Amino acid sequence: MTKFFSVLSLGVLLLCAAAGAGPAPVTVVTAQILDFEKGYLFLTTGDGFKVATDVVISNGPVVPPRYARVTFDANGMVTKIEVSRTKLPPEGDLTALRRYAVSLSPFKPDPDLVPSANPSLCARTVPGKHVLVAITVQIPPTTPLTDDIYMTTDQSGWNPQAYKMDRVDALHYRTVLRLNSGTMMRVLFDRGSMQSLQVAENGIQAKPMLLCIGDSDAQDWSPRVYKWADQISTGTLPVPQTMPTPYNPAPFPNLPTPPPFPTHAPLSK
Amino acid sequence: MKGARNPSTNAGGCTIGGVPLFIRSIGAIAFMLAVLCCGRAQAAMPLIHLQADSVGFYYDRFLIEAQGHVQVRTSGGMSMTGDAFSMDLKLNRFVLAGHVHMQNSDGAQDGAALADFITFNRIYFVPITSEPDRWTFLNGDFAHPVKGREMPGDTFYFPDLGTRRPFLISTGAVIGAGSFVRFSGNHVDIANGMGAYVPTSSYYVNFSSDINLAQNSLAGANYDATWQFAGGANAISALHFRYDTINKTYLSFEQHWTGSKAYAVFSVNPMTRPQKFWDLLLSDQPSDKFQVRTFTQLATNQTWLQRPDASGQFTILQATWALPRSYAQLAVQDTNFSLLPPGVYDGIAPIIDHPWQLALSSQTLDHRIGHTPFYEHVGYGVGYVHDAARVLQYLQGTPYTTIWNHNLDATVYVPSFKLGNSYVETKNYYVNASVDKNRQWFSNGHYTDSTTSRLTLSKMFDNHFVSYLGYTVQNLGDYYGKLQTVAYPSFVPVVGGVLYPGYAAFRGLATFREVALGVTYTNGGNFSASLLARKHDDFPKPIPNFFAPPPLDVLGNEIQGQYYLGEPTYDVRADVRVRVNDHTSIDVSRGYYFNFGNRGWSPETVIQVLQ
Repeated sequence: MTKFFSVLSLGVLLLCAAAGAGPAPVTVVTAQILDFEKGYLFLTTGDGFKVATDVVISNGPVVPPRYARVTFDANGMVTKIEVSRTKLPPEGDLTALRRYAVSLSPFKPDPDLVPSANPSLCARTVPGKHVLVAITVQIPPTTPLTDDIYMTTDQSGWNPQAYKMDRVDALHYRTVLRLNSGTMMRVLFDRGSMQSLQVAENGIQAKPMLLCIGDSDAQDWSPRVYKWADQISTGTLPVPQTMPTPYNPAPFPNLPTPPPFPTHAPLSK
Repeated sequence: MKGARNPSTNAGGCTIGGVPLFIRSIGAIAFMLAVLCCGRAQAAMPLIHLQADSVGFYYDRFLIEAQGHVQVRTSGGMSMTGDAFSMDLKLNRFVLAGHVHMQNSDGAQDGAALADFITFNRIYFVPITSEPDRWTFLNGDFAHPVKGREMPGDTFYFPDLGTRRPFLISTGAVIGAGSFVRFSGNHVDIANGMGAYVPTSSYYVNFSSDINLAQNSLAGANYDATWQFAGGANAISALHFRYDTINKTYLSFEQHWTGSKAYAVFSVNPMTRPQKFWDLLLSDQPSDKFQVRTFTQLATNQTWLQRPDASGQFTILQATWALPRSYAQLAVQDTNFSLLPPGVYDGIAPIIDHPWQLALSSQTLDHRIGHTPFYEHVGYGVGYVHDAARVLQYLQGTPYTTIWNHNLDATVYVPSFKLGNSYVETKNYYVNASVDKNRQWFSNGHYTDSTTSRLTLSKMFDNHFVSYLGYTVQNLGDYYGKLQTVAYPSFVPVVGGVLYPGYAAFRGLATFREVALGVTYTNGGNFSASLLARKHDDFPKPIPNFFAPPPLDVLGNEIQGQYYLGEPTYDVRADVRVRVNDHTSIDVSRGYYFNFGNRGWSPETVIQVLQ
């Protein structure tokens, strides 16, 4: 009886081994085409694969940057390429395909790609996610009550009216934007023109602040403006397309002149 | 610029040492330009020359996509051909794929694809020798490729653009890495992604993070479409197609130059209307602690470039020094209200008037008072005003053409004080308050006191609604001592046959009180609407059609500065902003005055296209 079971076990093992050594199943992946020449198909992973001489190609030339559904046989040879102009839904595992890729030189790790011990927020971010970013800026108490506040960025070509902010209270303005994670932008605030751009706390031209969009669902950012470039000790600089107002000894800009005594209108005798 | 009187027989134009100030201004400008042009070292910036059957530029993503017979030549001496090209201008890297042939100083090689990570000085290449391989060129060393080295995962990826249309279609481009791209002979989509292409001779886009090239000297406009027709790493020439409520549709020209720490901007706006403003903006920052800026404007009223019938000019120089825990600022303003020789132009004799102002001030940096929520800063300044051609003020028959002043200013504020203990922002209220006090003494015997106090209570209800309730009091007094009634004589105005005796109590001391309620709704950055309702309770009381209404800017907004007398008792202002596509929003706003002085709606519905 024991001998019978031993023979049976051996038979099962042999069957399993035979099954393992047999041809692997056909593999199908969707990917983007990098090149097709000299008997190789290259995908945008950078990997090149041998193409069977009787490869079946459908839907047009195999040229970059089109997409394709690629079929590999059991030996990793490309047997079918179905080309598409539009992106195809993901199918198959491109990483697992690497074992079929042809490369003359042995693999070497790249020291440039070793993660930093203290990576910045953007370096740790998974890109491509839509993130709600709430930006609340604190403005100087000297800001005129009726002025609008804008945000200008290098992503919008430093257009001083690119993003209008909404007043939250006397000292804060806010806007909510939907931005892609991984976005890095340099930001300054202004009152609608480059003349009224924020300056640094010490009165010198401010360096743009760096805003990095992380990959959380929402992100808050609360920068601060210390001073505006057009606010000087004597008031506000004239803006383009206005001549300065003539000197008025009275501090009220639109005080009517009393009929008999033209005291405030600086007229000559 | 235009006036009815010409009290002087002087030729007009202020002079110092026999040299007209305007000429001196031009001299200063020339000096600044010389500093700008010569005072910097040019940084090495790789140039990429691209040619292909089709080159598309996707402005919203700063992508250049090229296909068909692609030729790429770099300023580093490398030339390549291939089937498809993609460059992410912001990431500063490109990929060339399909039958790639690369030629450099060390030879030639065929391959499947090449990617140049310009910022990191790495070129990744998939050559095809006897078999495919992976080579990495480090720091431009083409003679010694590192073979088999791992590459970043997305090295050769092309972006998925779906059905998106390019903003611009061309056959060639010159790319200044990390700085600019210039297309020649192309078609531009003027309909923001709708595919309405119009031919243009050349198109330039600057995408550097250098804000100095974006400095501009143009006034605002309701709509501005900019055609940057020429440019490089340090200069842009642009035509602006604009619309505003005063000038309607017109063209403007603007020229930018920039250096490592300096910039210059020249513009003429509106170029195709008689009343032109020629602006020049200069800035130099020789160190991190000192900056000098000038702004010069020449205003002319002329048809094209014919002899003007009115002309004025002003120059402002602003120098700032950063000091330990404070800064100092010198501001000089020179104005010529007419540059024309004496005479009568179109029936009007220009006013000969050229005041000169100077102010030297210093202010401490914001400082927190102990561990309290209060912050403070103080400032002190001296000022000088002189006008040789016009009396600045008469007081008891004495003319003053020169007035000195000095002022002391202090501000205390609470940025945000939380009422409530919840860590959830929407469950708390927030209070902020500020008080600013300023006293300014004048050499002709009077001083002004101004105090502005603000208090707001705000609450965020959820991610969409924010509201605040604010109260502001501004006190302004102009004190002449015994001469108070001389400076501010009492009188009873009669407007439309109605007497307003209450105004007779005004002796140069005014109070402006405002209660404001603001509500804002925001929906994920695509839509926002805000409403601001205000009640004013001022002294002197607003008398309809007695005080001059505030002027309008070119957008149609009322320019309402501080201490403006005669504000309507009630007003409401609504503002709606809608994002139309990835890079365009439309903002519409208007106010309502509840028929104060027969004023219903504000003069203009302000519509702005924001890009």
